[in-house]
Amino acid sequence: MAGDSPGNLEYMGVLGDLTERRRVDEERQALARNLEESNANLEEAQRVAHVGHWEWDLETHEVVWSDETFRIFGLEPQERPMDLAGVREMVHPDDRDSLYGGVDVDLSVGANPIAEFRIVRPNGEIRTVHAITSKRWSEPPLDSSGEPSERTRKLFGTIQDVTEHKRTEEERRALARDLQESNARLEQAQRLVHMGYYEWNLITGCVTWSDELYRIYGLSPQSGPIDMAMVSQMIHPDDRERVFREAEEAARGGVPATAEHRIVRPDGEVRTVQGLGTVKRDAAGRACEMFGTVQDITDRKRAEEALRRSQFYLSEGERLAHIGSWAFNDSGHYWSDELYKIYGLDPKNGAPTVEQYLALVHPQDRSALAESFKLMQEEHRGFDQIERIVRPDGQLRYLRAVAVPVVEQGVFKGFIGTTMDVTEQELLTQELRRERAYLAEAQSLTHTGSWVANFHTGRNYHVSDEIYRLHGFDPDKGPLPGDSFYKTIHPDDEPIVWEIINGAIHARTDFEIPQYRICRPDGTIRILRGIGHRNPSGEMGEFVGITMDITDRKRAEAERERLRQLEADLARVNRVNMMGELAAALAHEIKQPITASITSADALLRWLAHDPPDLDRARAAASRIEQDANRAANVIDSLRSFYKTGTPTERQITDVKELIEEMTGLLSSEADRYGITIHSELEADSPNILVNPVQLQQVFMNLMLNAIEAMKDAGGDLAIKSRVDPEGRLYVSISDTGIGLPAVSAERIFEPFHTTKPQGTGMGLTITRSIVEAYGGRVWATASQEGTGATFHFILPCGAVGQV
Amino acid sequence: MKPAAVPTVFIVDDDGGVRRAVQDLVESVGLRAECFATGQEFLDNGRTSDPSCLVLDVRLPQMSGLDFQRMLADVGIQIPIIFITAHGDIPMSVRALKSGAVEFLTKPFRNQDLLDAIQQALQRDRAAREQQDEVHELHGRYLTLTAREREVMALVVAGMLNKQIASEIGASEATVKIHRGNAMQKMQAGSLIELVRMADKLKPILRQ
Repeated sequence: MAGDSPGNLEYMGVLGDLTERRRVDEERQALARNLEESNANLEEAQRVAHVGHWEWDLETHEVVWSDETFRIFGLEPQERPMDLAGVREMVHPDDRDSLYGGVDVDLSVGANPIAEFRIVRPNGEIRTVHAITSKRWSEPPLDSSGEPSERTRKLFGTIQDVTEHKRTEEERRALARDLQESNARLEQAQRLVHMGYYEWNLITGCVTWSDELYRIYGLSPQSGPIDMAMVSQMIHPDDRERVFREAEEAARGGVPATAEHRIVRPDGEVRTVQGLGTVKRDAAGRACEMFGTVQDITDRKRAEEALRRSQFYLSEGERLAHIGSWAFNDSGHYWSDELYKIYGLDPKNGAPTVEQYLALVHPQDRSALAESFKLMQEEHRGFDQIERIVRPDGQLRYLRAVAVPVVEQGVFKGFIGTTMDVTEQELLTQELRRERAYLAEAQSLTHTGSWVANFHTGRNYHVSDEIYRLHGFDPDKGPLPGDSFYKTIHPDDEPIVWEIINGAIHARTDFEIPQYRICRPDGTIRILRGIGHRNPSGEMGEFVGITMDITDRKRAEAERERLRQLEADLARVNRVNMMGELAAALAHEIKQPITASITSADALLRWLAHDPPDLDRARAAASRIEQDANRAANVIDSLRSFYKTGTPTERQITDVKELIEEMTGLLSSEADRYGITIHSELEADSPNILVNPVQLQQVFMNLMLNAIEAMKDAGGDLAIKSRVDPEGRLYVSISDTGIGLPAVSAERIFEPFHTTKPQGTGMGLTITRSIVEAYGGRVWATASQEGTGATFHFILPCGAVGQV
Repeated sequence: MKPAAVPTVFIVDDDGGVRRAVQDLVESVGLRAECFATGQEFLDNGRTSDPSCLVLDVRLPQMSGLDFQRMLADVGIQIPIIFITAHGDIPMSVRALKSGAVEFLTKPFRNQDLLDAIQQALQRDRAAREQQDEVHELHGRYLTLTAREREVMALVVAGMLNKQIASEIGASEATVKIHRGNAMQKMQAGSLIELVRMADKLKPILRQ
């Protein structure tokens, strides 16, 4: 419309000529009407097109505006006369200088100035206007003679309100920009998700690809036209037939086709893509075009595969490690399969509630766990603890449960955790703890400590509690410096200890220090024994060993040696004493027949001195002398056999029966003296026995004298019985009816120095026992059945018994 | 007194040889001898009214010689004892002699020592027996006294005058004189001194 304005103006110029012709009034009137009409039309056109016009008298600086111009400027048409200053005032201050400057320049070079600028309406509204200024009247128009006419020099121009137009233009441009951006974004999005699209005209067979699709197929974007043959070629041969079949079915069935298939890029790389196509139909319902997307899902597939694998590994790992995992948050309570297995629960029933869970827990652990749950809920506190559960099938299991609170950006979200079946480890640990306790107990009982140390570096790897105690330290007071133990070694023994250890280090051998002394912090001296074995690690100077406290053993050995010596001394003394007693007994025995002989001899002499001599009586006396002398000789004989005990004799076959009778004879007078009768019950087939007879005599002597001693005050019966027991051993018992056994155990009477007699050595029974036991026999004592007295029994085994 | 009988020597020894030898020796000097193996046998059979003595072995079955000696004294059997032993010691002999043994001989002993001891023992026994006979005689006389006479005799022996005795027993002096005369006569005492001696000898019996 703007283009039409100059034509109208041209027309107005003609009207100017008409004014000068007043000749034809009618014509002129008609024309005036026309003019009026034209003006009205112009006015209307200007109004509709928002175009106004103006005139600027360069001489008078008067400005004339059309009505529409007034309207454009937000004024009532012709509400006031306009001048240049008024116009200038209404131009937007920012555009003022450039507008007028630009117009001046254009006019001076003879161009039609065109300007677009903003005006400010009186109500403050800003409008954009487009002004075209005609230069026609800037110079005085020439008349027909070529002289400048009288016409005033004026500028004429139009002004159009282009605010709405501008806005529309802006909007259009913005839309175009948006479209472009959106296209770019689409392109970007396609790139990002590796998704391209295609259009396949089913009628022409023409195929259009998006840039990304080219890239997916390993081609440069829009590098060349695409047709279905090419596409088919690029689909993986194994998938080709299937892809097309599915596409056809989709086209026929009118459903979107989806196909996951592989493609082969020109460089041979195989990618996996996911295709999705829809079919467009024309008005006749004919499939005319297929539009689809193709997405490269290779990475996703790989990621999915990797995820599947890692999930498999995780669940397999959980299964192998007996670890279950769980999560608890707003979206629910998740339990891994392995967790159900650990608790012996069926996954179908879902994760248990807190109450159900607590019911599974061992009653003794329940309250502690409930407390942990409380802290979880109230303070969002995690835990790591071992609890016992009783599975539905009754199995007791130890579980280590770890819970960790999940906090995202300072906000508590829930808990995640793991539960591990540590039953085996726990049982092992308990077993280990028990073993350790037993070991410590054993070490304590045996006063043996264990250690692992490197004597080269002076470092201790293991020092048992007992080692501390052996050296007089308190293990509960914490570890000591490594050399604390060495420092206790007695200075006198230090050289030998280190000599042995250093020798072993250099020779790479084991060592043993049979005994060395240490001085404990409290000053007591202890004797230790150390044994070190080279550590299998082969590390220089490293040994595994034990240290024993042998102080008590050493003392006991010394004491035992002293006792053994004493016992030997006393045995000798006992024998001497016994000989003394025996000698006294024998002296009595001998004196009797001698006394009788002497007396008889004197009597004999007296009978002979009678007058007449009584020869019969004398003869009788002589006969008695002979008898008594023989009797004395017999006593001497038995004495001689007994005295042989002074020298050890070899074992010889001995008739037990004979030996018992001999002893009975020997001790009969002693027995008589205290009113004791001796009687023996010896089995007829009492065996001959291979012993040292002197020792056996000693046994009988001791036991019989003992029996006599017991009956000394009241007299009684001494019974000796002998037989062969079912096992072929010689069994002998010697019973008395005396005071009985002392009120201590029957065994103690065999101990050295145990005596009930004021003058006893307490060695008699000890020697008896040592002799019997030397033959592999046994001797013991019982209370006699009659209630008083005692019976001593001894058995000599078959080995010592032999029939001649 | 009866005519002198043959004295008896009792021998107690558990050793048969010694027993027979001692018996033979005793018999060779003309004395009677009786042998026993134990003290009990002697107690059962070895009693005689003739002078006798006991040769006793210290070591005897059941009861030692020393214990047997004490037992005899306890039951009032007075017989001189000669101990013989095969192994005597000093404490043993001291104890035996203190208890009134005549001799303590250790075997083998000199036979003459034994025979001397036997003679000494028999002599002692004889003297004891004579003394005992006299007391028995006096006791017989004493038994003839009335109770009043015995009472007066005791007071006279105690040295009291007739007058004192009369006031003591609540009788007249004349009555006392009669009792005193009767007692002197019955006891066959020639004088007051003789009566006092008789009373003295009777004292052990009267005390029982």
